[in-house]
Amino acid sequence: MENKSDALLRKMLKNWVNRLHPPDNGRARLLWEAAHISRNKIDLTVILFHPQFISYSSSSSNDWPPKFFSWINENSIQFGIQARII
Amino acid sequence: MPKGAEEKRVISDSELALSLQAGSLEALGVLYDRHRGLVFRTALAITGDAEAAADLMHDVFLRLHRFAAHIDPQRPLEPWLYRMTTNLSYTWVKHRQRWFRPFEDMADWLAGTRKDTPAYQAEMDDSWRQVQQAVSSLPLSHRGVVVLYYVNDLSLQEISEILDIPVGTVKSRLHYGRQALKQSLGLLAGEILPELQYEFT
Repeated sequence: MENKSDALLRKMLKNWVNRLHPPDNGRARLLWEAAHISRNKIDLTVILFHPQFISYSSSSSNDWPPKFFSWINENSIQFGIQARII
Repeated sequence: MPKGAEEKRVISDSELALSLQAGSLEALGVLYDRHRGLVFRTALAITGDAEAAADLMHDVFLRLHRFAAHIDPQRPLEPWLYRMTTNLSYTWVKHRQRWFRPFEDMADWLAGTRKDTPAYQAEMDDSWRQVQQAVSSLPLSHRGVVVLYYVNDLSLQEISEILDIPVGTVKSRLHYGRQALKQSLGLLAGEILPELQYEFT
């Protein structure tokens, strides 16, 4: 069984934290951000499995690097994600 | 089951966790409404900072959404929330102690608004500030145990499982944390502040 000073300490700590409350706009902010993350996940799937190829005319075999970078840029801008080529 | 009772049936955390795994944001909203109090209080008691507690609460629920697939819906959700909250709060406190506090002290000194000036102290509620300082002065490991035990009413066994430490360690940390708090707050000598005493009546 709790002694008197223990009960007092419990009450004191509870009163201290109960003086403040979580912000009112927390729920809306959370759901907005969670939805935003979900949308990014979907976009990533789309770009990985259904890329929209545009047929570039290749005049020579040396043309492939700029064409490839153009394709990456266009798709990353379209889907709103960052692309990095390592 | 009567029709009215069926309509009023509270959706369990397990059902909500399953919905969350299926991508339901509505389930996340219900879980947030249901558990935000315990997450906020725990983070506030460990960090002593309301703004940080609000940010950490946001982070905990965002992680709940992000890692929903790894949560077992058959097990109670609260221990997961407590664990995540204490871990993130510990990280916040360590990070702040290491990087920000020296800069904050210097900024206060340069601006001439040191926190020990009479003007600043007048704005603060002295008695509650004393409680906050007493809790903040506890070592982090003791603070977590004290907060879970006294603020959240958890048992020693529950705290042991949440923090992943033996029950004996929980008892020991609680003992030292309790003694330090009682000493700081004058509970041992019966010198409790009148403002705080008023709250208990």
